[in-house]
Amino acid sequence: MTTRSKSAGGALALQILNHVALGLVALLFLFPFFWMVSNALRSNAEVLAIPVRILPSVFQWDNFAVTWTQLPFGRFFLNSLVVSGSVTVITVFVSCLSGYAFARLKFPGRDALLMAYLGTLMVPAIMLIIPLFLIVNSLGMVNTFQGVILPVAFGTFGSFLLRQFFLSIPMELEEAARIDGASRLRILVSIIVPLSMPAIGLLSLFTFIGQWNNFLWPLIVMTGADNATLPVGLTQFQTQQGTAWNYIMAGATLSMLPGIVLAIILQKLIYNSIALNAGMGGR
Amino acid sequence: MANISIRSAVKAYGPLEVLHGVSVDARDGEFMVLVGPSGCGKSTLLRMIAGLESITDGEIEIGGRVVNELEPKERDIAMVFQSYALYPHMTVRDNMAFALKLARRSREDIEREVNRAADILDLSQLLDRFPRQLSGGQRQRVAMGRAIVRNPAVFLFDEPLSNLDAKLRVQMRGEIKALHQRLGATMIYVTHDQMEAMTMADRIVVMRAGRIEQVGTPLDIYDHPANSFVAGFIGSPSMNLIDGVVRSTDQGLVLDTPHGTTWPLPANATVLAGAKIQLGIRPEHVLLDTAGVEAEAILVEPTGAETHVQMRVGGQTLTGVFRDRPAIAAGARFRVRPDTARAHVFDCDSGNRIPARS
Amino acid sequence: MTIAQETAKVPSRSAARRRNRLDIREGRTAFFFLLPSLIGVILFLVLPIIASVVLSFTNWKLLGQPAFVGFANYVRLFTVDPQFWPVLRNTLFFTAEYLVLNLVISLGLAVWISSLKVGQKWFRVIFFLPTFTPGIAVAIVWMLIFAPGGFFDFLMGALSIHMPSVLTDQNLAMQAVVVVSLWAGVGYNTVLFNAALDMVPANYLEAARIDGATAWDRFWKIRLPLISPTLFFGTVMTAITSLQVFDQIYVLTRGGPGSATATLGYAIYQKGFQNFQMGYASAIAWVMFALIMALTAFQFWMQRKWVHYDN
Repeated sequence: MTTRSKSAGGALALQILNHVALGLVALLFLFPFFWMVSNALRSNAEVLAIPVRILPSVFQWDNFAVTWTQLPFGRFFLNSLVVSGSVTVITVFVSCLSGYAFARLKFPGRDALLMAYLGTLMVPAIMLIIPLFLIVNSLGMVNTFQGVILPVAFGTFGSFLLRQFFLSIPMELEEAARIDGASRLRILVSIIVPLSMPAIGLLSLFTFIGQWNNFLWPLIVMTGADNATLPVGLTQFQTQQGTAWNYIMAGATLSMLPGIVLAIILQKLIYNSIALNAGMGGR
Repeated sequence: MANISIRSAVKAYGPLEVLHGVSVDARDGEFMVLVGPSGCGKSTLLRMIAGLESITDGEIEIGGRVVNELEPKERDIAMVFQSYALYPHMTVRDNMAFALKLARRSREDIEREVNRAADILDLSQLLDRFPRQLSGGQRQRVAMGRAIVRNPAVFLFDEPLSNLDAKLRVQMRGEIKALHQRLGATMIYVTHDQMEAMTMADRIVVMRAGRIEQVGTPLDIYDHPANSFVAGFIGSPSMNLIDGVVRSTDQGLVLDTPHGTTWPLPANATVLAGAKIQLGIRPEHVLLDTAGVEAEAILVEPTGAETHVQMRVGGQTLTGVFRDRPAIAAGARFRVRPDTARAHVFDCDSGNRIPARS
Repeated sequence: MTIAQETAKVPSRSAARRRNRLDIREGRTAFFFLLPSLIGVILFLVLPIIASVVLSFTNWKLLGQPAFVGFANYVRLFTVDPQFWPVLRNTLFFTAEYLVLNLVISLGLAVWISSLKVGQKWFRVIFFLPTFTPGIAVAIVWMLIFAPGGFFDFLMGALSIHMPSVLTDQNLAMQAVVVVSLWAGVGYNTVLFNAALDMVPANYLEAARIDGATAWDRFWKIRLPLISPTLFFGTVMTAITSLQVFDQIYVLTRGGPGSATATLGYAIYQKGFQNFQMGYASAIAWVMFALIMALTAFQFWMQRKWVHYDN
C-alpha cells in the first residue's frame, strides 16, 4: 500500500516537473517576441547598448504612435488590410461558386477539370512570379492594388476545399429546396453557404493570414513606397533607416499582432483544420 | 388537382438502364403507393415525377402537361423526403415559408398559409423552434407542412415513415391518410413496406427490377396476385410457394413435390398433368386436417390474436397462421392441407398466375 | 385498366434519348458558376505556367525584343554560370538540414505536449504563433538578435564562447537562416503531429500495455508507425516549402556573404527582378520545379519502406 501511494505521489511530481520543463522551453521559444516588444519600447540608443538591457530603462509607449503616423506604418497596415481583405473576399466568392459547381452540378468534363484544378496545386508559387509580373505589367497594373490583389485571388485550393465540404451536406436538403422553387444560385446562397460557415471561415482565415504574411509578390508589384504592405514596408526601413531599430521593432509588432490575436482566438478552428490534415494523411 | 400519366418511362445512367419503360396512370385525387424491394426503381420513378431525375425516355404528364423538360418548381408538386430534409438553420416557420417566399407571395399570404398548415398538423406551438429541437414525429409533420403550404396538385412521399419507430409509424400512417382525405390531392407514396402499401393505398403499384409487376387495389392484389413475386411480396407472413409437377388422379389434379409430398390442387385449376407449377397458399389458408400432409412444427409464435407456426413439410419450410390457438408446440407432429378454393397456381418458368376456370 | 405493361412499341426511343433540356440548363448554370474561377485560373495560373516554359527558352530582359535561344539558358546554368552550382548546393544543404531538424524538433515537441495531462492546447498555441506571423517580421526580429553587439553576441560573451559575427560568416550565416526558419516553421508540424498522436486510438496502446510493452516500445512500435502517414505528409509539405526558401534570406543575408546563403528562390528573384533576366530566371524556376518533383517522387518511393496505412 505504501509503495503504491508513494509511486502515485511520484507520478504526480513527475507530471509537474514535466509541465515546468516544457514551460521553460516554451518561454525560451517566446523570447524573440519578448525581445521585439522590449526593443520596440526603448530609445534607439538602448537597442544595441552595451551591456545589453533586457528591459528598457524608460518605456517609450509613444514609439508606437510615431511608427503608426510618422513612418506611415499606419498606411502600410491599411494597405495590408485592403490587400488581404480583398483577396479573401474574392477567393471566398469565387470558390463558393466553383466549389458548388464541382460538388453538385453535372456538366461534361467535370472530373477532368477538377483533376486539372488539383494539378495546379502542385505548382509552387515562386515559379509563377516572373510570368505573373509580366502579365501585370502588360495590363498596366504595376504598383496598383488590383495588380497585387487579382493574380493571387484565384487559387484553386478554395474551390477544392469548399467542394469537399459541400459534398458533405445532405443532397436531400438541396432537392427539397429545388422543389420549393429555389434556383441554383438561391440554393447556394440560402442553404449551402449558411451551412458551410466552418469551411468558409477556415478558408477566409488561411487566405487572409497567407496574404497578410505574403512578401515576395507585393515586394515585386508594389514599387511605390506608399503602396507597400506591412512586410514590404518593414524591409524598406531596414535598408533606409537601418538605425531606427526601435521603430522597426514597433512596426514588426504591429505586423504580427493580427496573426497572433487570430491564432489565439481561433485556436480551436485552426487545430481542427490541421487535425483534419493529420487525419487525411492517415487515409 | 391533377392526374398523372406515366408513359414508357425509361431511366438509364449511361449504359445502365434501371427503369425499363414503365407505364401507369394515377387518377386525380388518388392515393397511389409504389412498393417493391430496394433497387426496384420505385424511388427513381418518384424522383422522375418530381423532376429530380431526368427522364431518359418516355413521357410523364401531370395535369395534362408533359413535364419532361420542366423544372421541379414548374410541376406543381411537393415532396416529403425520407430524411425530412428540413433546413437546419431555419425555424419551423421559415422552413414552411421558404417556398412561398421564393414565389414572392405577400407577407400576409405567407403568414396565413403557414398558420393554416400549422393548424392542420398541430404545429402552431412549434413554429419558432429549430428542427434540431423537434422529435422525429414532429419533424415528419413539419416536412408535410412544408408541402401543404404550397397547395400543390400532387404530393410525393419518398419513404417518409421509415425513420420513425414502429408505434409512431402507425400513427403517422393514419395522419397521412387523414390528410389525403382532407386535401383530396393526388398523392404518390413510395415505400418498401407492404403493410404501409396495403393500409394506405387506393391502388398499389408493385415494382421489381425496374418493371411494374402489378397494379391494383390492395385487396385485388392480395387476392389475385399476378405472379409468384407479387404473391410472395404482398402479405405477411409471406405466401407459401410449393414447386411440383401436376398429376391426374381419380380425386382430381394433385401436385407431386420433389420432396415426396402430394398436395391437392384447386378443382378449377386450368393445368394439365405433367405441367411444372407452383402452388401458392397464404399462411391463413393452411388448414389443420388429419387427412392432410404430415408436418412438424419448428417454431410457434403466438401473437395473441393468432398463432404463427413454422413447420417442416417434406423438405420444405411452410408457415401457417391459425386463429383458434391450436395446441401445437415446437416438435409436435400434425397434418395440414391447403384451403384449395383459395389457393393460387403459378407457372413455374414464368412465375405468372395461371387463372382458374370460372 | 389503366396500366399498360411496358412493351416494345415505344416509338423513336433513340431519337428521344437526346440530352434533356434540364441537363443542358444545368450545364449552363455550371458554366456561369465556374466562369469567374476559370477566368482567374486561366489568366493567372495556366497562362503563367505556359509563359514560364516559353520564357525559359528566350533571352528576354524585360526591355527589347525577346529572342528564342533554345536550351541556351539551361546549358548556361549547368556549364557556364559560376553561381549556379553553389546556389544549388546551398538550396539542397538548407533543405536537408532544415527538413531533418524541423521533423525531429516538431515530433519531439508533439510527443512532449501529448504527454501532458493539462494545458496541451496552450502549448500548441505558443509553438504555433510564429506560423501565423509574417516571415519577414520574424526575420527582422532575429536580425536584431544576431546583429553585431546584439543579444546573441551578448549571450555568447556571457558563456565565454568566442564567435565571429554570425550573419557575415561564410559558414554561420546559413546556420542562422536555418535557426530562424526553424523557429518560424516548427509550429505547424508540431500541431500536425500532435493532432495525429491524439487520434491514435487508446485501445491500441492499452492492448500493447497488457501485452507487456514498455513505454519506449509503445512509442517506437505503436504510436510512431500509426502516425507515419501524417509524418509522411508533413515531410513532403515541409520539403516542398523549404526548397522555395526566400523571405528569411532576403532579410537576413541577401544571399551573402558572397553567395554563401544564395538559394534557388533567391536566385530567381535576383536574376529576374534585379538583373531583369526574365528568360534566365524562368529557367532557374523550372530547375527548381524539377527538383521539387524529383524530391517528392523520391519520398513517395521511399514511403513504401516506412509508412503504414491501416487500410
